[in-house]
Amino acid sequence: MRRLPANLMIGGVLVALVVGFAALSLVWTPHPEGVLNIRGKFAPPSATYWLGTDQLGRDLVTQLMAGARNSMTVALIAVLLGGSIGTFLGLLASAIGGWIEDLVMRIADISFAFPTLLFAIMLAAVLGPSLQNAVLAIAFINIPVFARVSRAAANQIWTREYVFAARAAGMGRFAISRDHILPNIAAPVIVQATIEFAVAILAEAALSYLGLGAQPPASSWGRMLSEAQTLMYLAPQLAIWPGLCIVTAVLGFGLLGDGLRDVTDPRLARQR
Amino acid sequence: MIETHGLSVGFGAAQALRDIDLTIRPGARIGVVGESGSGKSMLGLSLMGMMPDAAHVSGRLAIDGHEMIGASEAAWRRLRARRVAMIFQEPMAALNPLKRVGDIVAEPLIVHENLGREAARARALDLFREVGLPDPEARLRQFPHELSGGQRQRILIALALACDPDLLIADEPTTALDANVALRVTELLVELSQQRNMALMFISHDLTAVARATSELLVLYGGTVVEQGATGQVLAAPRHPYTQGLLAARPRAQALREGGTRRRLPTIPGTVPPLDQLPAGCRFAGRCPVELPHCASVIPSMLDGAACHLLGGGAP
Repeated sequence: MRRLPANLMIGGVLVALVVGFAALSLVWTPHPEGVLNIRGKFAPPSATYWLGTDQLGRDLVTQLMAGARNSMTVALIAVLLGGSIGTFLGLLASAIGGWIEDLVMRIADISFAFPTLLFAIMLAAVLGPSLQNAVLAIAFINIPVFARVSRAAANQIWTREYVFAARAAGMGRFAISRDHILPNIAAPVIVQATIEFAVAILAEAALSYLGLGAQPPASSWGRMLSEAQTLMYLAPQLAIWPGLCIVTAVLGFGLLGDGLRDVTDPRLARQR
Repeated sequence: MIETHGLSVGFGAAQALRDIDLTIRPGARIGVVGESGSGKSMLGLSLMGMMPDAAHVSGRLAIDGHEMIGASEAAWRRLRARRVAMIFQEPMAALNPLKRVGDIVAEPLIVHENLGREAARARALDLFREVGLPDPEARLRQFPHELSGGQRQRILIALALACDPDLLIADEPTTALDANVALRVTELLVELSQQRNMALMFISHDLTAVARATSELLVLYGGTVVEQGATGQVLAAPRHPYTQGLLAARPRAQALREGGTRRRLPTIPGTVPPLDQLPAGCRFAGRCPVELPHCASVIPSMLDGAACHLLGGGAP
């Protein structure tokens, strides 16, 4: 058994930590969510409040866990939605070819000309500030990414002899796309999804920071950061902890994606 | 019944097939031999309507009386698997590594015959029995990498037979197999052809396998038929200089031992020129040992099964 690459291991551990944190918040948090205790605001870490409380006396650990859950949910839905649509378009472009393929890919190229985060901010601003619209905006910026990855991978699979054999067996290009192409492009698409997950977490944090994502009272790492900004000199820990969470999650998914790519891409495997 | 008349396939200035006249009757077993680049595979592909997009095709190609030159991809798809099916040289490459072989064989049944998944599996099992796969029930759930080369080729044959085709095109089906397995796969193809009254087009480099498997023979060179006739007759008494050269180039144990000295294997001098540099007349001109001055410019006509100026084919 070959040793797994370090980035895969470290990424896996960080992701497990964040996802575990988020999953735990579904069944248990140290304190009930969103309970204010104005008299106990800015409490230092203690046995009751492990990381202390914020400016409204809410338990910081509870807030961070709920933030993790929201962040994961947004990223999951956005990547699944954008990824499915993008992969579908990529498969379609590859199956049909000709000017339709060119059209889909040129539209994807144009969308890459916009900075992704700015684009998401613009979309969220146009659609109105809410968590759903943040999800839609992040899903939308994922579509061209997946279209491009899946189309490139699919074009490679289309040249394989088993696709030729399937054509000789009378299968149409859509049946071939579903039965032969899709399973064989799963690896690069899953790798891309993992990396895009990191991007989506960052995008959600940024949108929430700007007030275009999660609305109060829902907790979000990005919103915790923006609320802590004015209190930086008074209570720096309120900015440090959510910041650390964002770094952990983004780094974790990024490393995991890179690691998965190293393991699944035979061209990279040979270089090692 | 499949008929071609003057079937030609070209790519720009290059001609991959020129004026192929061919009649395939039910149950006929036709061998196609020739060097690499002689158009053997292109002939098989053109009968499936699976030429590369860049190809321009002319002439006539009738499948069951339907003219298929210029037919849409959808029209071809209805014929593939049901009328004309194909098996390939490299059975591993022709099987999707991520799919169970039972599902691979069941697919065309679901697509073409509108069978349910269970019924299609049952048919696949029958087909596995028919092509002589050992332990067919267990095979259904296996992946291609779990099978041997011969078993993989049998899976592909089962796939090709799934929709009960009238013609099975076998494009070098035994090239990637070792001699013993190749022999058994060849025998299987002959048996299936006889039992089902299914025509077989056996494309191969292997003249021994062709002699064993087929009753008619087409010798292709440079995209043209240079000789055709009953397999036994052509192999025993080749008339076209190219066929003679091809047969002389076979290694024979007996010939090697003659006189106690090792004899150098005869070869046809030169190689097949690129498709766009073939002579306009007889394609074999330039490599032919008995060439006449007009051979390179005048197209020879088929006379008594051979297309050669020396044998009276279109001498000026």
